[in-house]
Amino acid sequence: MRVLALRALRLGVGAVLLVAGALKLRDPTTFATEIANYQFWPALAPYLAASLPTAEVLVGVALLALPLSWRRPAALAALALFAMFLLAVGSAYFRGINIECGCFGTGGGPITALTLLRNLGLIAAAAVVLFGEPHPPRHPPRHPPRHPTDRPTDRPTDRASPDGGPA
Amino acid sequence: MRAALLLGLSMVIGLGVNAVRPNGVALRSFAAPALCGAPPSNHSAGSAMPAVSVVPPEEAAGLCGDPQTIIADVRPEKEFALGHVTGAIHLPCAASGSVADAAAGQVAGRRTLIVYGDGTGDAQPVADEMRRRINRPELRILVLAGGFPAWSQAGLACSSGACPDCQVQKAASR
Repeated sequence: MRVLALRALRLGVGAVLLVAGALKLRDPTTFATEIANYQFWPALAPYLAASLPTAEVLVGVALLALPLSWRRPAALAALALFAMFLLAVGSAYFRGINIECGCFGTGGGPITALTLLRNLGLIAAAAVVLFGEPHPPRHPPRHPPRHPTDRPTDRPTDRASPDGGPA
Repeated sequence: MRAALLLGLSMVIGLGVNAVRPNGVALRSFAAPALCGAPPSNHSAGSAMPAVSVVPPEEAAGLCGDPQTIIADVRPEKEFALGHVTGAIHLPCAASGSVADAAAGQVAGRRTLIVYGDGTGDAQPVADEMRRRINRPELRILVLAGGFPAWSQAGLACSSGACPDCQVQKAASR
């Protein structure tokens, strides 16, 4: 049950990122305008508009399809993206700037308290994936012991020959 | 480490894709078409468009009941919700160009647009920008002298609450 819930969260967060990024990729100039409307650092708007959607798409793909070893890094990257979005949206909300969110390209709707809550929910979901995903298995030793009695012991006489060479 | 690699690499790929795609955003020459973004010198230079006039609250109030008049409030949404001139639409300075276009659509067919803010100064750029966007010489664009405080002091009609047109404007801008 826990594994299923974790998988559903991971796929959900990945799908949200993939869809949001793909929608923004359709019209980067409009997305740049939406970013500039935040009045945070307008000169950065075109650079963010060109690079953020791809980051969302690739992090989304990593969460959806990449092997286990990439899931935790992808969840951490998703968490960073959502935290950045929350900062921007919260800043506009509390400054009373009446603008479109731009969260899903041009169809994101205005910034409301619900937008902040949605971002908080996504942050929580990404955090659960980050801390809930199992660590990938470590590589097996190259020369595993053939038999339990072959394991080295603490006794120096077992590890070295009397002349100091290898046993 | 892998998270930083994933983010960094994907952002670099995004910049690269943007550079080669035909409708990519112009990184260096991009200028956000915000409502108040245009410099004053751009205002229909050389055309016969009438200038924006500043009128006292009493004169503006005389136009209030006229169906050919529309009023725009440029103050932030929260101030607008606390109180505004009855029937005013919300058109803040920070609105995107698409919202301004939607407002221009609402002005279509009217004879007078009255713009007000917290004072005279904050309404003037919005009024100028609407003058530039709406290419109709017969449209009078007026700025309310003293803004909403002057209107309130004169005891003229105002209402409060959320703007019903705001959502329409936003929907139209999508």
